[in-house]
Amino acid sequence: MAMSDLTIIGRSLTGRMFSTVTTVVTVAVAVGLMFVLLSLRDAGRQAFERGSGNMHLIVSADTSPLVSVLNGVFYANAPQRPITWERFRQIADDGRVEWAIPNQQGDSFQGLPVLATTPQFFTHFTPAPGEPWRLAEGVFFEGPFDLVLGARAARLTGLRVGDEIHLTHGRSDARAGGAPAHVHYDFTYRVAGILEPTGSAHDRAIFSDLRASWIIHAHDRRRALDPNSPRPTEADLTDDDRLVTGVYLRCVTRGGAATSPLVPVVASELRRDPSIVVAEPKAEIDKLFTIVSNVDQVLLAMAAVVMVSSGIGIMLALYNSMEQRRRQIAVLRVLGASRPRIFGLVLTESAVLGALGAAAGLGLGLLGAQAAAGVMKERLGLVVLPSLPLDWMVVMAAATVVLASLAGLVPAVMAYRTSVARNLRPIG
Amino acid sequence: MGETPALRIDGLRFAYRAGEPAVVEVGSLALARGEQMLLTGGSGRGKSTLLMLIAGLMEPDAGHVVVDGQVVHALHGAKRDLFRGRAIGMIFQTFNLLHGFSALENVMAALMFSPVPKREHRERAGELLKRLGVERVHAKPEELSVGQQQRVAVARAVACGPALVLADEPTASLDPENAANAMDLIQTACRDAGAALLCVSHDPSMAERFERRASLDELSSAVPA
Repeated sequence: MAMSDLTIIGRSLTGRMFSTVTTVVTVAVAVGLMFVLLSLRDAGRQAFERGSGNMHLIVSADTSPLVSVLNGVFYANAPQRPITWERFRQIADDGRVEWAIPNQQGDSFQGLPVLATTPQFFTHFTPAPGEPWRLAEGVFFEGPFDLVLGARAARLTGLRVGDEIHLTHGRSDARAGGAPAHVHYDFTYRVAGILEPTGSAHDRAIFSDLRASWIIHAHDRRRALDPNSPRPTEADLTDDDRLVTGVYLRCVTRGGAATSPLVPVVASELRRDPSIVVAEPKAEIDKLFTIVSNVDQVLLAMAAVVMVSSGIGIMLALYNSMEQRRRQIAVLRVLGASRPRIFGLVLTESAVLGALGAAAGLGLGLLGAQAAAGVMKERLGLVVLPSLPLDWMVVMAAATVVLASLAGLVPAVMAYRTSVARNLRPIG
Repeated sequence: MGETPALRIDGLRFAYRAGEPAVVEVGSLALARGEQMLLTGGSGRGKSTLLMLIAGLMEPDAGHVVVDGQVVHALHGAKRDLFRGRAIGMIFQTFNLLHGFSALENVMAALMFSPVPKREHRERAGELLKRLGVERVHAKPEELSVGQQQRVAVARAVACGPALVLADEPTASLDPENAANAMDLIQTACRDAGAALLCVSHDPSMAERFERRASLDELSSAVPA
């Protein structure tokens, strides 16, 4: 094969391998960082939207709609204030409401949240639109003291179908060093089923029957007044015992549509009641991401700074190599290379560094995004599918090459202006 | 009409700064194809500068340099560079081989800028190196002996079939025996390539090798014989 400009560029790059590798790595890290941030940004939002599934509204007595969503969908904390059964019935009996699923939080097992709810939770509510609950093993509730475990909760606790446990009042996790908590030893629960992963925060929750939760808390209250009071049954419960901390609500839709024009109407009417908070999960998540987007922009700006730094790195690498290459350039000029061709050689070399960095960076970014997604799934139970449209990748790669070419301008001008006579030998 | 001379110089003058004495001043000089000439002069007398002017790598203040019928400084930019690559070969005291490139690649580098078809480069460079006694064509310059490096440098200078080869103190760093061998090589290679050779040196022992010789002082005022 004949010698070509690319042969010269390739030899120049391999001739100072350490400098080339470090420069490419710097560019790759910048591109990779940018890739991870961009690819996870939208994926993260989508993952957060999964948990609210097909509900339109969440109703609670929390302090704000955002807190209501964080507590009700992401199990951030147990809601402190309950909604009465009577109020719940009023909400559920509204003809514009397709379904209203009551739930109660407050108990836990080994620090994992317990959501007490009705069987409708599994039959009507889906954790993601069009993705119903699926059991990995066992069954949904058969009796009031049956439990269904989220996939991650099952893995963390090591519980299997048929195991029996006692729930803890509150979220205190004595095992993790928290304060000793009250354990409902009088009531034994049995694991009836384990769910398939859903990629939402529900995976780390334990689901119990709302009736059982009412019974054990009614028992606690009555024992506090009279230590000899008998264990209550479902028949003994009064409306004062039937407290809920949240309601998942879906309005009537036309033909199974995802949204309903009734949602804002119902929400508006419910908001007239100051004792409850009504939240539209999607809107609250959007708000949350608006807040987070400031951080997002700072991270993107940092990635851009790293990009520019890597451009400066390219410039310095080529600039430093110029001193050693002046003789080579002078020889090439003697052999017939024009000044513009020498200029082009250095600029192309710079662009090649950028292209190598971009290619490595996209690979690195892809791996990084997968790793970050893995960590998010492991730690948060969120299924994030990192994705960046092909045109974005092309734009990123092209921008990197352009930036690298710009960084090569100064060394290229130096090469262009290299004096042949001065660099071949002392003038005799 | 006779054959076009490989080199013709008329009234060439060059000074580094306006108003300063000329570093190079050549009244007239002609070199026929295949002719070989030694140009002598002490250090700092402008020998290498003259070669740079002939190669079109520096601009004269006055006068003409004609190589193979072409007024060198009438060409500009890339055209002059391509002309130099095709018509002029250069040999240096320190060889100035491209480091990191094999002997073969060093010779092919000269062909890169010539009109020789790319598909012929490798074969042509390989044959030339073989003819000049370089066996390890894939060795890098630093892996070759000084003598072998010199052969590569000569091969590169004549690779494009130039009309003129300029040799700038080609033996200055060699002992007398190797210097003699190197000059044998250069002169034979130029003769075989049909190229004129203009060799500049401050070594007086080189004189007997050349039928034509002159000092820069002589050239500055008269047409050499």
